[in-house]
This record gives sequence, C-alpha cells and structure tokens, in this order.
Amino acid sequence: MPTRKSTIFFVLAGLGAGALAVMVAHAHYRHQKAQAAWNESAALVKRLDLTDLCLFTDARYARHPSMADRHTPFQDSPMAMEHFPSGTLISPPPHLRPQ
Amino acid sequence: MVELKNITKVFNRNRPDEFTALEDVSLLVEERKVTVFKGPSGSGKTTLLSIVGAMAKPTSGRVLVGAREITSLPERFLTEVRRRTFGFIFQQFHLIRGISALENVMLPAYTTGEKHAALRERALRLLELFGLSAKARARVEWLSGGEAQRVTIARALVNDPKVIIADEPTAHLDTKLSKDFLGIMERLNAEAKTILIASHDPLVYESTMVDHIIEMRDGRIRGSGPAE
Amino acid sequence: MSLHERHRNIIDFALSSLGRRWKKNLALTVVYAFVVFTLASVVFFTEAVKSEARAVLRGAPEIVVQRLMAGRHDLIPESHIDVLRKITGTRQVQGRLWGYYFEPSTGANYTVVASGEPPLEPGTIAIGQGVARTLNAGEGDLIPLKGSKGDYASFEVVRVFSHESELVSSDLIEMHADDLRAFFGVPEDYFTDITLKVRNEKELVVVADKIRRLLPDTRPILRDEILRTYDSLFDWRSGLLLVIFAGAVAAFVIFAWDKATSLSMEERREMGVLKAVGWETSEVIAMKSWEGIIISLAAFFGGTVLAYVHVFFSSAFIFEPVLKGWAVLYPRFQLVPQIDPYQVLALFFLTVVPYTVATVIPTWSAATVDPDSIMRL
Ligand SMILES: Nc1ncnc2c1ncn2[C@@H]1O[C@H](COP(=O)(O)OP(=O)(O)OP(=O)(O)O)[C@@H](O)[C@H]1O
Ligand SMILES: [Mg+2]
Repeated sequence: MPTRKSTIFFVLAGLGAGALAVMVAHAHYRHQKAQAAWNESAALVKRLDLTDLCLFTDARYARHPSMADRHTPFQDSPMAMEHFPSGTLISPPPHLRPQ
Repeated sequence: MVELKNITKVFNRNRPDEFTALEDVSLLVEERKVTVFKGPSGSGKTTLLSIVGAMAKPTSGRVLVGAREITSLPERFLTEVRRRTFGFIFQQFHLIRGISALENVMLPAYTTGEKHAALRERALRLLELFGLSAKARARVEWLSGGEAQRVTIARALVNDPKVIIADEPTAHLDTKLSKDFLGIMERLNAEAKTILIASHDPLVYESTMVDHIIEMRDGRIRGSGPAE
Repeated sequence: MSLHERHRNIIDFALSSLGRRWKKNLALTVVYAFVVFTLASVVFFTEAVKSEARAVLRGAPEIVVQRLMAGRHDLIPESHIDVLRKITGTRQVQGRLWGYYFEPSTGANYTVVASGEPPLEPGTIAIGQGVARTLNAGEGDLIPLKGSKGDYASFEVVRVFSHESELVSSDLIEMHADDLRAFFGVPEDYFTDITLKVRNEKELVVVADKIRRLLPDTRPILRDEILRTYDSLFDWRSGLLLVIFAGAVAAFVIFAWDKATSLSMEERREMGVLKAVGWETSEVIAMKSWEGIIISLAAFFGGTVLAYVHVFFSSAFIFEPVLKGWAVLYPRFQLVPQIDPYQVLALFFLTVVPYTVATVIPTWSAATVDPDSIMRL
C-alpha cells in the first residue's frame, strides 16, 4: 500500500518543526559562545566611553543616534524622503520624538 | 422504507418568480423494489428525488426514513441520515476531476472517520466488481463515459446504503451502456437494495426489472402502478 | 471511527486537491515563503542587533553631558567639569574627545576617539576592522591622515580591534588625546562632551535634573536612553520595517483578492459534490482550511528557516545593499542569533492564520450551498 499523502504531510511538518527547534538550539548555543566576545566588546565600550553601535557610517546621526541633537535630519514621518539612505532605515531615537 | 406525506415544495417563496415544483405529493417507497419516476421535463422528478434522498427540505409535509421523521432534523443529522441511507448517481456523474477513480470512490466515506486501510480495501473491491481495477489510479477525466458512470455507481455504494437514487442515469449513455447500467441496477436490487430512478428514457421504464412506475406532471403524481 | 482518522482523511483529500494544480500552488507557496522570509529576516536581524546592543552597551557611560550651542552639538568648556563635580552624587567626571574624520582618498567616514586607560603612545593609533579594510592597513603600517590645518600627520597602527568587536569598533581610530587635539585643532580647555558616573544608580534622574538646572546649555543623556534608542531603532516607524511590511501586506492582499475572486465554477461544483455525497458544511470548510494551512505552514517553515540561514550564516547579504547606503565603510559583523519565541509565534500566526482565513472566507458561501443544487448542474 502506498504511503498516504497525509503521512507525508505530517512527516514534512514534523521536519519543519524540528528545523525550528534546531534553530532555537543553535541560537542558544551561539549565545553561550558569544558571551566572551560580548564581554570584550563591552570592555572596549567602557574603556573608550563609546555610546553607539557602528551600524551605519554615512551620516553622523545614523552613526551615533543616541547623541543626535534636535536638528538632525531625522524626519519623523514614515514616508519622509531623506538625503542619507541609512536615515530612512532607522527611526528617530526616543529623545527626538514629539512627546 | 421512505415515506412522503403531503409534500409541497415551493421555490423562491414570496417572490415574483415563486414556483411550486411539488404539490401535495404523498408516496411510499417500498423496500427492495425498483421504482421509476417518469414524466415530462419540469414535472418535478429531480425535486422529488432530492427530497426523498434528504438532500433538500420540503416547504411543507413530512418525510419519514424508516420510522424516523427527518423533516425537522438539523443539517448535521440530516447529513448523517443521507450518508448512511442513500447513494446518489447523478446524471452528470459529478466526479471530482483531477483525482483518481479510487479516491473518488472513497470520498463519501472520508468523513465517517473509518480507518483508511479498510476503506481503501472496500473501494478497491467495489472497483473490481465493476471491472475497473486497472483504472483505480487513473484520473477520472481520462475515463470513458461508461467507466465514469461505473465509478459513480461505486461511489454511491461505498457507504453501503440501503437506497440507490439515480437521476436520469442513462441520459449520457448509448443503448449498450444503458443496458449495462440497468444490468448493474438489477444485480444491486437482487442484493436487497432499494432503487429509485428518475427517467424519461423508455429503455429504463420499459425494463423488466422495474417494479413500480410513478408518473408525474406539473408537480403532482398523475398515476402510479406496477410496471407491466 | 475517530476524529483523528476523519481529519487525516480530510487532509488526504486536501492534498490531492492541491496536487491537481500543483504548479500554481507551488508558485503560490514559493512567493508566500519569500514574503515570510523577508519579514522573518528583518525580525531576526533587528532582534539580534537589539540584543547585541543591550549586551555591549551596558559598558556605556552612565551619563553623557552634551553642550548645545544655537541648537547644535558644540564643544564643552572644561569649566563645566568643575560645576559637575560639585553636584552631590557624581563621581568620575571626565572630558571626552571624539570626532569624525572623512578620508578623502577612499571617501570613508571614520570615528576618531581619544585613548582611554591605558592610553596609546603618542603617534600611534588603534583601528577597527572596517578602517583596516578600507585603508588596506594592518599592524605596523604608517597611515597619513589629513589634519585640520591641511597638513598630513602619520600614525603608526599598533593594534587592530578584533573582528568580534566590529559592531562597536569597525570605524574607530583610537589615538592619544593630545594627538587628537592637535589633529582636529580642539582648544586646550575644551572637550567634545563630558561623561560621568553617579554613586548610586537610583539617583541618575535626580542628577540629570540638577545638571539641566545648573548648566542650562547642556543636555544630559542617560545610559538608559542610549539603550532605549537601540530598542526602538528598528520599530515599526523605521523605514526598513515599513517598506518590507507594506510589501508583505500588499502581496498578501493580492493573494487574498486572487483567492476571493478566483473561486471557479469548478471549485463551487466540487464543494456541491462533497455536500451531496454526505459531507457536512463544517467538513467542507475544514477541507478548505487544511488547504490554506498546508500552504501557509510550508511557507512559514520554509521562509523562517531560510531567513535564519540568511541572517546568521550569510550575514544578511540580501540586506547589504540596503544597509550599506552610501557608506564606503560597511561594518561586517556576524550577528549572534537571538530568537524570541514570541516573535516566532507571532510570525507563525501572522503567516498561517490570515492566509487560512483568506482561503476559507470566499468558500463559505459555496460550502453552505444546498446539497441538492448539484443535481441541477
Ligand atoms: N432552485 C430552483 N428555483 C426555482 N425553480 C426551480 C428550482 N429548481 C427547480 N425549479 C423548477 O422546478 C421545476 C421542477 O424541476 P425538476 O428539476 O424537479 O424537474 P424534472 O422533472 O427533473 O425535469 P427534467 O426531466 O428536465 O430533469 C422546474 O420547472 C424547475 O424550473
Ligand atoms: Mg431532472
């Protein structure tokens, strides 16, 4: 008797759920392993008094969003066009938003 | 087996196109008999069969299956009665295209929760009975008209119903295939099935196997008697 | 005679039914999986950045005091340090020196910071991986940088920050504070801003209030605000999420519309047949739901797993052109996966439920047809 289609479906769905579980386990493992590197980065941050992540380097308000002053080109409108591409990707930090 | 009491069926009630398809029809379908409904087009044969087969509810009147009144049953129970008691053979076959003959035959039993292996076994045996073993895996649209009809019959039988209902079963068949069909019906009747056929094909209502003929006209029964 | 067996039968039929138009359904699944993939990639990426920000920015200064002049961030005079030292509860008040350097030959922007403890030797620098890449430099190399007076000063690279720290150090050039002053021409008694620590963290807000009162031309920035900045950097208002979300929603609406309008006569007839041969309305709807669940589940699993591989094994290469923007220096960091179960669950419901509902709703009217209607077709 040939394999039922529903059996194949259950097996594939099980594999999908399994892949998800492997993902979670892998993330957990990488997390454990990352502690040392994070401690190193945190120490560097502490030593150099850094305040921001280096995600973008094109505009200064994107390089140091937490240091940005009120007159940076963040445009607090979802559809605003901006000069720097990175400025359109991130949203303004909380301290620059209208309360 | 099935009894209709003062059945009236009105379509589009209270609308300008209101139409009374059946009017005060009373009828007793005898068990293990072959009954044929004949009459001109539009006389209400299909409507009557759908009410007998618990597919549609009458506007007024009562339907009894066995001793059970089904007119007032909610949909779920009505479906249950239909599935257990009746097997349908449609004029247009109404097989589900794109899937195999075997699956088409198994279809009415899927929702009974029967074990798949047992069901498959039974469906294969039915197909074998009609000489369709080789076609079990074939998609239904590849079957010839006669083969398709035999798949339809197998499907009607899969839940082992007491009553077979066929609406214009020979309309799409040539004489030989029509005779084959009647042969099968005769065999089923011999196996204690009650058979109801609506047809205006003389080949059917003049057949020797017919026990009872009911003649309809304008939504009423005009005559009823044993076949000669 | 079990519910389980009944549903397995229904699933069997749903699969057969999908199998009939397998090319169309496969294409649908692939497109849908792609939508899920993009969404999941953004979620994974931003979550990982957030968690990394929390992990490494815990070392950031407790308070940064920034001077604003005519609305612009300006150099802060050393005299402010003395004022801050007098506020009760503060300790370790220090001037901070940093700035930006545009490298004309490569067109890259670097962040120049003054050395912390222990300081680098004057004339030497430590650089981030991104700087090393764009300048094609390594330890021991001499690098000429163009100072504020137009003259070139050469610095010896004595250290390259590790690849692991690239998310904070990629564009850094660390040099001695005296070198930095000379290089940028920062006056002796000025700093870029001032950092300070407090004795009791509970007093942070009180101290910040005092700073605002005593030095009205400054803005104190708390570490908590820095962390919050990164928590909300990629929220729904950010373009990254918005564009992709809008795309996903548009794609989904197209699906749903297609589904709703393309319920063919054939499908209607089939549902009538099912009703006629003894299926209940609820069973016909269950069958259609399974069709939706099968497709959306496949899209969910496929899209999510691919997104994970994309973000954490290939460094989100599809996003690279977007994230890069005009930057010449593009930090290459390997993000550490951070999976929030709620986010995956939300993704699951966002993928499976609306699609399944969109599959079922248009079939509703067809599923409730009277079984006898099939006898007249
Ligand atoms: N849903 C409906 N709405 C309105 N009128 C209907 C409906 N169904 C059937 N009718 C009408 O009821 C009458 C009886 O129809 P029915 O199909 O029962 O006739 P029939 O005897 O089976 O005819 P035929 O031999 O052509 O199949 C016809 O006049 C038909 O137009
Ligand atoms: Mg008819």
